[in-house]
Amino acid sequence: MAVGRSVPMLDSDDRVRGSVPYVANMQVPGMLHGCVLRSTLANGRITRLDASAAESMAGVAAVVTASDFDVPGGPVSLMAAMIKDQEVLARDRVRYIGQPIALVAAETAAIATAALDRISVQYEQLPAVYDLMEAARDGAPLVHESGDSNVFLHGKLRHGDLDAAFSASDVVIEETFHSPIAQQTSLEPHVSLAQWNGGKLTVWTSSQGPYGVRGALAGIFAMDEPDIRVVVPPVGGGYGGKSGTRTEHFSSLLSWKAGGRPVKVLLSREEEFVTVTKHAATITVKTGVNRDGAMQARHVTAYWGAGAVSENTAALARGAMVRLVGPYRIPAVNVDSYAVYTNLPSSGAYRGAMSSQATWAYESHTDSLAKAIGMDPLEFRRRNLLHTGDEFATGETLHGIHFVECLESVVRGLEWDRPIEQPGGALKRGRGLAVMMKSTSPITKSECRLAVDSQGILTLFTSTVEMGQGTHTALAQVTAEAMGVPLEQVRVVGPDTEITPYDANTNASRSTNMMGTAVQQAAEALKHTIVEAAAPLLDLPLDQLTIGGGRVSTLGPAPRQLTYEEIVVGSDVDAFEAAGEHSTSARLDPETGQGIGSPHYHQGAGACEVEVDTETGKVRVLRYAAASFAGRLINPELARLQNDGNVVYGMGPAMLEEMVFDAGQVVNRNLSDYMIPSFKDIPDLLTSETISEEEGEFHGIGEMTLPPVAPAIANAIYDATGVRIRDLPITAERVLRGLSQ
Amino acid sequence: MSITTIKLTVNEQDHEVTGEAGRSLVDVLRSDLGLPGSREGCGIGICGACTVLVDGRPMSGCLLLAEQAVGKQLTTVEGLPLADSLHRVQQAFIDHRAFQCAYCTPGFILGTVALLDQNPSPTDAEIVEALSASLCRCGSYRNILGAVQSLRSS
Repeated sequence: MAVGRSVPMLDSDDRVRGSVPYVANMQVPGMLHGCVLRSTLANGRITRLDASAAESMAGVAAVVTASDFDVPGGPVSLMAAMIKDQEVLARDRVRYIGQPIALVAAETAAIATAALDRISVQYEQLPAVYDLMEAARDGAPLVHESGDSNVFLHGKLRHGDLDAAFSASDVVIEETFHSPIAQQTSLEPHVSLAQWNGGKLTVWTSSQGPYGVRGALAGIFAMDEPDIRVVVPPVGGGYGGKSGTRTEHFSSLLSWKAGGRPVKVLLSREEEFVTVTKHAATITVKTGVNRDGAMQARHVTAYWGAGAVSENTAALARGAMVRLVGPYRIPAVNVDSYAVYTNLPSSGAYRGAMSSQATWAYESHTDSLAKAIGMDPLEFRRRNLLHTGDEFATGETLHGIHFVECLESVVRGLEWDRPIEQPGGALKRGRGLAVMMKSTSPITKSECRLAVDSQGILTLFTSTVEMGQGTHTALAQVTAEAMGVPLEQVRVVGPDTEITPYDANTNASRSTNMMGTAVQQAAEALKHTIVEAAAPLLDLPLDQLTIGGGRVSTLGPAPRQLTYEEIVVGSDVDAFEAAGEHSTSARLDPETGQGIGSPHYHQGAGACEVEVDTETGKVRVLRYAAASFAGRLINPELARLQNDGNVVYGMGPAMLEEMVFDAGQVVNRNLSDYMIPSFKDIPDLLTSETISEEEGEFHGIGEMTLPPVAPAIANAIYDATGVRIRDLPITAERVLRGLSQ
Repeated sequence: MSITTIKLTVNEQDHEVTGEAGRSLVDVLRSDLGLPGSREGCGIGICGACTVLVDGRPMSGCLLLAEQAVGKQLTTVEGLPLADSLHRVQQAFIDHRAFQCAYCTPGFILGTVALLDQNPSPTDAEIVEALSASLCRCGSYRNILGAVQSLRSS
C-alpha cells in the first residue's frame, strides 16, 4: 500500500543537490530585472512624481507609474478584493511606508536600483495612526476617508443567552491579550517572472495560489483568465505569506511596458517586511465558570490590524470568529470580531492564521479560569473539552472530534505526572498545556485530472502547490493506492493553469483533505473508464470484470488479466483520463454566526516544561510534546515533520518575533534584528504524535501544533513563577518585569 | 559601472567571469556560473542559505565580493556528489527527511561537510553550534540533527 508509507519526498534528490527549480533561480534570455519604488511616508498626498530621469537612464527598459493606468488600453489600477481599497501603484495618496509607487525594469539589478533613486516624489504629510486600538477609536485619523471609521468589518457570533449565563456563573474573569505584527519570512522571497507574447501573458511565480494570481492579473489587464498562464514551480517556503498577489502584477506590468520582454521581480529581505505581515491582534476574553469547573458563558472581542489595505482581512476576520471560541463546551457564546485599518503594511495569513492569536488568548485564559476556581488546569480542560456530538457555538453538531486524545497524547509525551525536578536557586521550572481548535476554509473547491498512458504511467494534474510540506508526494501516494500501482509509476504535474485544473489556495491546511479527496474521485472515475475500455478487449460485460492491483481481471475460474498499459495500447488511444473534484460549502449566518463553521475542525495540543531564570527573565523550553489529529495518515514521517516544524515555527512568535515600528517605519527589517528560530532556539527535547484514524478521511496537519506553542509556554511560566504574560513575544524583559511586580 | 574579468575556481573547475565589478560571490555563482545551490536569503550573512565553502571553510556568499574569492578553492553543493552517487551528507539528509522547502538545505549540507571535515565525531552541542549558522524556517532542525548524528564516526 502506498498510503501509510514514509517514503521520502519524490524530488528529494533535487532538494539535496540544490537543483530544485525555484522561481528565484530562473534566468531566461533577454530577461530584465524589475524593482519597486516605495513610499517613505506613512500617510500623505503625492504632490509630484517625476520619473523622467529614470526613464532616460541607459539600461532602463521600462518605468511604470500610476499614469500608465486607467487610460485607454491600459491596465486597471484598483485591485479586485472584497473591499476595493488597493491601487496597484499609488496615484496621489500613500497610506503606509513601503507602499509601491513606481516600477523600473533594467538590464541589470544594479541599474534598476540606481534608476529608483532618480525618481523624484514629493509628498504632503497627513496625520497617521499605527496602533490598532487607537485606530479603532472614534476620531482617529482615517486611513481611508471613504468610511467614517477605520473599523471596516464587524463579525458577530451570537449563541445562547449570554447575560443570563454570566449572571448564573460563580466566577467571571476577563483578560486581554495581544499579539504583535510579525512576518512570515520564507527564505525564498516573493519572486515572479513575467513575459508577454502577443496578447497572452505567462507568469512563473513563487505563490500559494496560482488561480488567485491569474484572477487578479485578469482584473488588472482586463483579460480573459485563460489568456494568462500561471506556473508555480516548487516554492521555497510560504507559511501563508504567498497566498496573495505580491509581485506578479509588478513583473507583468513591467513586461507589458517593455514590449513583452521577460521581467523578473525578486524582493529583497527588507521589502518582504512591508509586503505582507501577520495580523496584530488585541483579544479580550471574558468567561463565566462554575466552581464545579463547568464553563457557562464566554464573550470574545477581537480587534485585527489589517494595515492600510484590506486584501483578505475581511474574510479572515469573519472566519476567525469560530477560531476565537476555543475547543470547549460553553452554552452561551458571543464573539465580536473587528477588522481595523492602520497606516502600516498589509496583513495576511501567517501559518495558523488568526488561530495563533486566538489560541494565545483563550488558552492563557483557560489557566486563569482554572486558577480562579482552584482546579488543576489539566483536569479543567478534561472536563470542558468538546466531544463528537457536542453542540458548538455555531449551533452545529460536531463530528470527528479528538481534542481529548490530543490532550492525553501531550500529557503522556511530557510525562506530566512525573514530579518536576527543581534545580534550585534562581532557576524555577514549571509546566503548561494548550489545546487548539481551528476551522479550515469553509467554502472551497479542488479539481484535478488523472491520466494513464500507454506505458502504464499515471499522471496527476494538480494546482496544489508544493512548498516543502510534501503535498505532491502525499498526493502521489494517494494516487498510487487508489489506482493499485507502485508509487514509481506516478507523476505529479503542476501547478500550471494552462494544463492543471482549478484549486483554491494551498493554505488553511486544506490540501491533503481537499485535493486528496479529489484525487480519489478522479481515480474512481478513471478506473471506471479503464474497465469500460477493457470490456471489449476481454469480450465480456462490465459485471464480469473487476479492477484492482493495477489491472482488470475477469471473474470466475481461470481469470484473464489486462494491465493498464495493455488496455491503453489495445484501445488504440494515447491515454485515458478522468477528472476529480471535491468542494465544501460551510456557511455561517452573517448576523448571528450560526450555521456550519467548517467542513471539519483542525485539532492540536501542546505541553511543555520550561525553566525560568528569575534573575534574568530568560526562559528555556526544556521539553515540548505536540500532538495533532491527522485523520488517515498518508506519510507518517512527513506528517511528523509537519508537527515538528509547527512547533519550531511557533517558537518564533512565542519567544522572538515582533516587527517593531517607529512612526510607521519597520525598524527591524532583516534577520539580524528580526529573529526567527535557529537551532539554538528550539526545545531541548521535542516529541510529537500524529493521532490517526485508519478508516477516517484525510486531514490537513500544516498548522495544528503551532498555535498551542505560545500559550503552553506562558502557562508553564505561570506555573513556575506566578507571572502571567499577556503580550507576545515572551521576551526575557517581559518576564523580568512580571517578576519585579 | 566598471566591468572586470576575474578567475574563480569552483568545484575544481576554473571559470573566467566578466561582468560588473563589486558583485557578491553568491550573485556571480548563480547568475554567471549557473550554480543555483547557493541562495541569497537575507543578504547580510545571517540565514546561511548562501553558504559556500572557501578553502573548505563555510562562508556567507552574500558577504563576499566575487573578487575576494579569486585564488580560493570554492565548493558549492553542486560540487559534492561523486560521479554516480550523492555525497554521504546529502544521502543522510534524505534518509533522515532533514528538509522541507529545502531552500536552506545546501547551506546546512555544506556546513555539515565542513564540520565533519574538521571534527569527525562532533557532540550534539558542537553540531548545534556549527549549524546555527544556518536558519531553517520550515523547522526541520530535529531531523537535521539526526542526519548529522548518523554520520559521526564512533
